[in-house]
Amino acid sequence: MTSLVTKVKTKMFIFAHRRARTMLDGEFGSVFRGRSLDFDDLRAYVPGDEVRDIDWKATARVGSPLVKRYAAVRKQTVLLLADTGRNMAAVSRGGEPKKEIVLMALGVVGYLAHRHGDQVSLVSGDASSSETVPPRGGEGHLELILRRVDDAVGLDAGPSDLTAQLAHVARTVARRSLMFIVADEAAVGEEDASLLRRLAAQHEILWFTVRDAELAGAAAPRRSYDVADGGYLLSLLAEGGEVAEDYRRLVEERSSRRARILTGLGIVEAHADSVEDVLPALFRLLERHRRAR
Amino acid sequence: MDLIFAWLLIPGAIALAGALVLVVRRRRTGEEAVPVAHGDRLASLPSYQRLVRRQRLWLTVVVLSALVLAGALLFAAARPALTSSQRPEQRSRDIILCLDTSGSMSRADAAIVDVFASMVRDFRGERIGMTIFDASGVQVFPLTDDYSYIEDQLARARDAFDRRSADPAFFEGTREGRGTSLIGDGLASCVQNFPRLDTERRSRSVIFSTDNYLAGTPVFALPEAADLAKAKGVRVFALNPADFGPRTTNEEALELRAAAESTGGQYFPLRSTTAARSIIDQIQASEATATQGSARGLVADRPDVPLGVALVAGAFLALGLWRVRS
Repeated sequence: MTSLVTKVKTKMFIFAHRRARTMLDGEFGSVFRGRSLDFDDLRAYVPGDEVRDIDWKATARVGSPLVKRYAAVRKQTVLLLADTGRNMAAVSRGGEPKKEIVLMALGVVGYLAHRHGDQVSLVSGDASSSETVPPRGGEGHLELILRRVDDAVGLDAGPSDLTAQLAHVARTVARRSLMFIVADEAAVGEEDASLLRRLAAQHEILWFTVRDAELAGAAAPRRSYDVADGGYLLSLLAEGGEVAEDYRRLVEERSSRRARILTGLGIVEAHADSVEDVLPALFRLLERHRRAR
Repeated sequence: MDLIFAWLLIPGAIALAGALVLVVRRRRTGEEAVPVAHGDRLASLPSYQRLVRRQRLWLTVVVLSALVLAGALLFAAARPALTSSQRPEQRSRDIILCLDTSGSMSRADAAIVDVFASMVRDFRGERIGMTIFDASGVQVFPLTDDYSYIEDQLARARDAFDRRSADPAFFEGTREGRGTSLIGDGLASCVQNFPRLDTERRSRSVIFSTDNYLAGTPVFALPEAADLAKAKGVRVFALNPADFGPRTTNEEALELRAAAESTGGQYFPLRSTTAARSIIDQIQASEATATQGSARGLVADRPDVPLGVALVAGAFLALGLWRVRS
């Protein structure tokens, strides 16, 4: 059985051929606000590094940009949050199982955190139960986390409930951390909004949306059923006309509502339709998060 | 209503059930349905629910009309038919009207033809022939069951008897023997006029109208002719216009009666008003066994109702398939 972390690393390596891999590291490193003032050493500048970290004197001496590296005073914690209900076993807009995309996103962020020397923890679960994997470092720990998610998600898993996971974090996690929330296109309700408001005060939050399969229009799968209740959906009735129009309006309304709530709380969001989308989307997410500050 | 190939219903029903199972199975396993999340995005739309209701309705129409179509076609394939068995009444009775046209009978002949005509009206199915004789017998018409023809012939005979001069050809050939009123010869020739007398078993009767006043030398005396008739199984019913009853006394009448009764027939004075009716009853009571034809089955296919239903169901199916979107 191939390691899930290896799979993530492979993808990141391929991505690195198009953009400098270190760029991702640079982006990730800039996510944290709190940095120690203990100067460690100098290294070459990579795009994505904070401009204010550039050691201009050293740069002038060497002739190429150098940035100062600081030793972290305390270990950061990256809290991965994922819904492992059966919604995640469904198909994404790109036609892949949403679970693959979730695993990729969690893996990339977890691996970046690992390389950054941070600890990674996981809160996952469905409507019936939530569980926590306590923060620890190392690739083996990341592998465990990914495997936990991989095993939990399935068509026979419990119903999805992201609100329960948010509430679980609010209840149990005391330490300030970087929260990476992987969600799908579930409607963000009032309860979610207030929980997020409460969590955003404590944590740094990144929101990653795995977009669900289209149910109307030409891109919709011909035969589909809802994982929530097993009911068949007749997408062929919604290829066009009034239904497709109503559907489009409803989806639009939901995503704009989500965006409004998240933006209001200063949470940056990115979305992916397929595994291929994950790295560029994450890159954009980190970039925007840095800019948003 | 019977089904000729009723057994076809069983394999047909099995095939139909098998096809249904196959269709359901194919729906289940065929094109893999994709699991999707948040189906409420579509399912909660009122416009979608309306379309689903319409789709369900037309699907029901399609399924029901397909079932009705298949059932009706299966029923039609089993050949619904009205079967009935008919026992055609073959009245194998042959009757020859045997009429003495000698001078002594001339006044009575027309009345006798009337009696004959009234008898013929009561016969149905019997074959009737007519022979007249004086010195020799002449066949007026052979045995036939064409009653309108018989009535025509009797009408012609009646006209001829009314005015002998009007139709002399009618009596052509009756005077060829030695003498006139050769009663025995007349009866013998009437008996011999039955076709296939020796080979075919039928009920044969001669209605023999004569006064038995002999004038000449016949080849057959009356008792001899009666014996011939008896030997051939022909019954002789005698009608005597010269018997004024109630008690028959004259010798000729007695001889005629004896001759008739010796063959198993009967003797009637013509004056007797019941004569015609009772002769008919007697003849019709004879030999019922020989009259039954063999039963014949009649089959009339009645596919119109199931095929009509199939046509209507087919129309609904076409309409449904047109309306259902798949």
